[in-house]
Order: sequence, then C-alpha cells, then structure tokens
Amino acid sequence: MASLSQLVDHVVVTTFEIDRPEVRVGRRADNDIRIDEISVSGHHALIEAVPNAYLEGTVDYYIIDNNSTNGTFVNDLRIRQRQRLNSNDMVRIGWNEFRFVDEDENAMEKTAYILD
Amino acid sequence: MELQVTGQTDTGAVRSANQDAVDWCVDPSSGQALMVVADGMGGYQGGEVASRIVVDTVMEVLGPALKEQPGSESREALVQSALDLASERIDARKAQVHDLAKMGTTIVLAWVSGHRALLAHIGDSRGYLVQNNTVRCLTRDDTVVQNMLDDGSIREDDVPNVPFRNVLTRALGASDAIATFSEILLEPGDQLLLCSDGLTDALAEATWPTLLSQAESVQDAVQLLVEASLEKKAKDNVSVVLLATN
Repeated sequence: MASLSQLVDHVVVTTFEIDRPEVRVGRRADNDIRIDEISVSGHHALIEAVPNAYLEGTVDYYIIDNNSTNGTFVNDLRIRQRQRLNSNDMVRIGWNEFRFVDEDENAMEKTAYILD
Repeated sequence: MELQVTGQTDTGAVRSANQDAVDWCVDPSSGQALMVVADGMGGYQGGEVASRIVVDTVMEVLGPALKEQPGSESREALVQSALDLASERIDARKAQVHDLAKMGTTIVLAWVSGHRALLAHIGDSRGYLVQNNTVRCLTRDDTVVQNMLDDGSIREDDVPNVPFRNVLTRALGASDAIATFSEILLEPGDQLLLCSDGLTDALAEATWPTLLSQAESVQDAVQLLVEASLEKKAKDNVSVVLLATN
C-alpha cells in the first residue's frame, strides 16, 4: 500500500492512502485528496496505481499534472509528463509538500534476482 | 582483418566474491574469434557455478568450430545448441545440490568470423560496437526496466531510481535458453566489447571512447576500463572482453 503524507515544516500533518486505481488531487470537493489552498487548482493532479505488466505482484504509481496553474513537482522538478513515483519522493502540489511512501517498495529485495 | 581479443573480470569495489565468468579465443588461421561474458546469480556460490558452466560449455562446443568456416545459419544453430547444453547442465546441478537451486546466469557472446560478428545474449550482459569514437549498444536487456522503457512507462533518467532495476525477465537456468541473436559487419578499426552490468553501472558509456583511445594495446584498453570502474567504486563484479580489429 502506498500513501501521500502532507508535510508542514517537515512534520506529517495528514496521510492519504493511495487505495484505488486513480486518486484525484485538487482544491474542489469532488477530489479524492482535497487540498483547500489557493495555490492548488480545482483538479490539479492524478495519481495512478497500475499493476506492473512484467513483474507480478508489483504496483507502480504514476503522477500526472492536469495542466495546473502552479504545477506539480517531484523532487523539486516540475513534471511535464506522466512520472513514475518512487518511495520517499517529495511531491509538491502548488505550494503544498507531500512525501510519497510505498511500503511494498521498501520491502523489495534490492539485489538482482531472476523471474521464474 | 587481424583480430585481437583480451578480457578481464574483477570482483569490484564492494562485493566479496566474483560471480562473473569470461573467456575468449582467437584462431588466426581461420580469422575467427569467440568471446563470452556471463554474470551469475542466485545465492551462496550459485552464481559462480552457473556462469562458469555456461562459459565452459560455450568454449567446449564452439571452440573446435573456430577451425572451420560455418555459415551464419549454422553458426546460430551451433550457438543455440551450446546454450541448450549449458542450460541442461545448470538444471542438472540445481537438481543435485540444494544450495544451487536458485542459480542462474546471463550470457553474452560474440562469434566473429572475418567481418561478420554474430552476437547472442540472454539477460542483461551487453555487447557494444565502438566505431569512430562512438559507442553503440547492440543488445537489448532482458529486464523489467527495459520493457518499461520500451512501453513508455518510464524514461532513461528514471532507471537509477526504480527499485527492481536489476530484475531480469530471462536468464539461463530460470527461463528457456533461447538466445536473442543479431549480426553486424565490422570495419577495420572497430572494437567489439562485451561486458557485465558491473561495468555499465559504474562507468558511463560516454566515457569509454576517451579511455579506449588512450590505450596502447587491447590489453591496456581492458585494464583502463576495469580500473576506471573500480575508481568509481563499482558495486558489482566488473567483466570486459574486448576485440580490436585492424
């Protein structure tokens, strides 16, 4: 399971679970993650959870900016296209800072192995 | 065209054991050369055993054929038969020894016959052509990451961050043994380089032509590449086999 934790002054204030295939982020009430703050566009960004087609049991998470006014940033770089998220990436929605955490990724063996 | 080949394998700056294996041979009378790199994996000692089996089997089956001049199709069939035999031998050892049950290996080999170079690979060990100070990768990695690059899920600059960047989709001992083949024509002055991912992970391809141009011999060139990867603290075993033509 992955989550997006909002940080204020480097302290987690709210954690949102990414628990469905598409999680909408924005200022309006119809978003899954609603951020009622002026730098956030109505429908600001979309987070997708996609099963990896080549690695059974693995889910990849991607973030897409919906032409927002103030931009979506991953590790301080403004994203221009669909961007894969890695655990502990810093995501900025307008002026709002989040940490993306994928617990399954942290548990994954990091050394080479072979698919059976 | 004269063919000069040499190779080297090194444990790297971090690992305690070397699970890579390399070998090569040249037959000046027939103008042919064979070069092999394998990168083994799979638990204590398993990787060393698997990579050694495939390299030894390839040299055993294909070495004698260097004295003849088989056509392209029969060379491909011979290479595949060597890999099939290596796969059988790996499976047999896995069945005999419990500790080796998870072993497998990549393989990349080149059979150079005059101007023609036949490449075969399984896994993520690579073949490169160095021509006019440019480096071109001749093989496509059998990895999850390569599939994701090809379908547009990720971009090159995402690769170092993907946690499963080392996961192979194919390897000898873990999938069928059918290799991917390609053939290129060599020109005098070209160099053909086979390597394990220890080299490519530690040393950017763009730096290779400068190093290779500084070398006074093919032995010197291989030494410079391995030393440069160790200076970059190569995390994995580093193996290079290089063929130079003139």
